[in-house]
Amino acid sequence: MSKKNIVLINLLIFSILIGCNKNNQPEEENFANLTLKFAHFNEGKLLEFDTLIYENEAENQYLVNEIQYLISDVILHKSDGNDILIDDEKDIFYIDTDISSTHTWKIPDKLPLGNYSSISFTFGICEEKNQSHIFPNPPESFMFWPEKLGGGYHYMKLNGKWLTDDNTIIPFNFHLGIGQTYYSFPDSITGFIQNYFEVLLPSSSFELTENQIKEIEIFMNIENWFRNPNVYDHDVYGGKIMQNQEAMKKACENGHNVFTVKILN
Amino acid sequence: MKRFILISMTFCLLLIITFCNKEKPDEIIYQPTPYEIEIPFGFPTILNIPDDNPMTVEGIELGRYLFYDGRVSGRSHPDSLMSCSTCHKQENSFECGINNPDFPGGFPHGIGGKPTPHVMLPLINLVWNHSGYLWNGFISNENPKECFRNIEDLVWMGIIAEHEMFSDTVRAKTLIQSIHGYPELFLKAFGSETITMKNISKAIAQFIRTLITANSKFDKYMRCEEQLSPSELNGFVLFTTEEGADCFHCHGGYGNPLFTTNLYYNNGKDSLFTGEFEDLRDRFHVSGDPMDYGAYKATTLRNIELTGPYMHDGRFATLDDVIEFYSHHLVWSPYINPLMHHIANNGIQLTPNEKEDLKAFIKTLRDDEFLTNPKFSKPDSFPDGTK
Repeated sequence: MSKKNIVLINLLIFSILIGCNKNNQPEEENFANLTLKFAHFNEGKLLEFDTLIYENEAENQYLVNEIQYLISDVILHKSDGNDILIDDEKDIFYIDTDISSTHTWKIPDKLPLGNYSSISFTFGICEEKNQSHIFPNPPESFMFWPEKLGGGYHYMKLNGKWLTDDNTIIPFNFHLGIGQTYYSFPDSITGFIQNYFEVLLPSSSFELTENQIKEIEIFMNIENWFRNPNVYDHDVYGGKIMQNQEAMKKACENGHNVFTVKILN
Repeated sequence: MKRFILISMTFCLLLIITFCNKEKPDEIIYQPTPYEIEIPFGFPTILNIPDDNPMTVEGIELGRYLFYDGRVSGRSHPDSLMSCSTCHKQENSFECGINNPDFPGGFPHGIGGKPTPHVMLPLINLVWNHSGYLWNGFISNENPKECFRNIEDLVWMGIIAEHEMFSDTVRAKTLIQSIHGYPELFLKAFGSETITMKNISKAIAQFIRTLITANSKFDKYMRCEEQLSPSELNGFVLFTTEEGADCFHCHGGYGNPLFTTNLYYNNGKDSLFTGEFEDLRDRFHVSGDPMDYGAYKATTLRNIELTGPYMHDGRFATLDDVIEFYSHHLVWSPYINPLMHHIANNGIQLTPNEKEDLKAFIKTLRDDEFLTNPKFSKPDSFPDGTK
C-alpha cells in the first residue's frame, strides 16, 4: 500500500469520526432540565408544625405533626399537544416534611425545549404500579399499606391532632390509600377501590429554554384537604380512616384542589 | 548509536522491574476476604456499614472471638471477666432475657453492680438501622461528635461504662495484644499485629452486623413456604389494621419486615403531670424537639417473646402485660405521638380472644434457627486455645 493511500484512509476515518461527533452534539444542547420543589402551606402561610393554631371548615381546631406522601407519573403537557412523562430515573417521588432532602426533586430527564401549557401528576400511585415491596428501603418502605387492606403503599400520611367536641386534644391519622368494600365491617372485605387521582396544577404553563434548569415550586395547601368541595369534620371521622372509604373518598375529592404551583425561573 | 541507547535503556528498565518484583514476595500480604450480606426476602437493600469498616470474613471471625472473650474487659481473673456476650445471649436474641439468673427480671447491671440506665435492646438486624442506636438514638450519624456514630462506638463505650464492663481501653487492648493468636488475627483482618481499640471495635461491630434474623415462621409465610394457623392469621390482620391493634405503623409488617421503623415515639405510657418525663435519656434529650418528650425507639418485634422485660424501663414483664397496656391503659399527654390515635378510647380495646390471636401472631416472629445458629455462638475455643 502506497503512502498516498495510507494518508487517504486516515483522512477518511478522521472525517467519519468528526462527522459522528457533529451529529450527536446538537441533540444534547437542545434540552433543558427541571427541578421540582415542594412546600407546605396553610391559609397562605408556611405550615407551622405541632402548634394548635389552625381551624378547618368544620371548625375543628387542629395541628399538623408531619406529612409524608407519594406522587407519581408527573406529566409535562406541551402546547403542541405532546406529553412528556417524567420517568428516566424514577416515576414515583416521596416527600416528607421531616426530611428536607425530599423537598427538592432534581429531575434528570432531558426535556425538550419550548412552551408547556401545564403540569399534572398522580397523587399516590396507579393500580398497575402500586405493588408491595417496590420500595424495600426506608423511608418509602414505611409507607407500606397492609396486604389485608389492598397492599402497596399509603398515598399520604398526614398526622396531627385536633380539639374534640369534649375539649380533648386527640391524634388523627389522615391516611389515604386503597379503599375497601366490606360485606361485614371490619372483617369481610369484598373488594378494593383505587383512590389515587390525577392533579392538574392550575396556572402551570412555562417555557423551557436552551441549557436552562427550570425551577418550579409545588405547594400543598393543607386547609383544602378539609374544605373543598367536601367539608371534612374530624369529629365525624375520628382519628383513623384507612378502613373508611367514605372518608377517604371525600378527602381524595378535596385533593384535586390542594396543590398550586409557582414558576420560579 | 540511537539504537544502542534505546536497547541500553530498555535493558536498564527491565533490570529495575525485575529488582522491584523480587522485593514483593518478602512483603506480608494483607488481603482480607470481602463478606457480602445476603438480603433476605423483603428486607432493605441499603446497609449501614461505615466506609472505613467494610465487612470481611477475617474481621467477622475476629469479632466473634472478641464478642465472646471476657478478657476484652481488660481483666483476666475468672471472676472479673465480662464480654458482650455476658449480657447479649444468643438464646435470648442477643438480649439478657428475663430468666437470666445473673440479671434477675432481665435488668442488667455492670461488673460492679451498677444498673444500666435502661433495659437492653437486642443486637439483631442492626445492619439495617440508619436511625440511631440505643433507646434514644444518641449513637447516630447525626451526632456532631464522630466518636458517637455507629455500632463501633457502642463497643468502646461498653468497655468503659460503669454500668457495663467498667474498664479502660488501654487495659483492654494491652491484654488482648498479649494473648497468643490474637495479633495474627488482627493482622489478617486489619493489616497490623498492633492491636488498637479502634480495630477491636471494628471487628466486634462487623460480627454484630452479621446477626441477621429473617427465618421465622412469618418469614416462611411471606415466602409462601408455610401457612399460619387461623389464630396467627387473625393476629396478623389485627396487627396490620387500624380497626384492629394498629401495630404496623411503628412496628412494620409485610412491607417492612424489620418489624420496626427504628424511629422514636411517645407511646402513651406516662402523663406529663406525674414527673415521668424527667428521664434525661429520652429522645427529647437528643433531638431537642419538645414533641419527643417521653419518646423512645420502637423496638423490633422479631424474637420479642424472648426479650422481656418490655419498654425502655422494663415496666412490663410479659407480652400479655404489653398487649393489656395497648388495649386498655394508654395515658394521654400533650406529647403522645399522633400515631397513638387509639388514646381516644384509652387503647385498642381488644377482646380476650383478640389478645390471644395477636400474641400468637407476634410469636411467629421467633426465629429458632437464628437463636441456635452455630455461626453466631461462642467459639469452641479462643485463639490461644482457652475455652
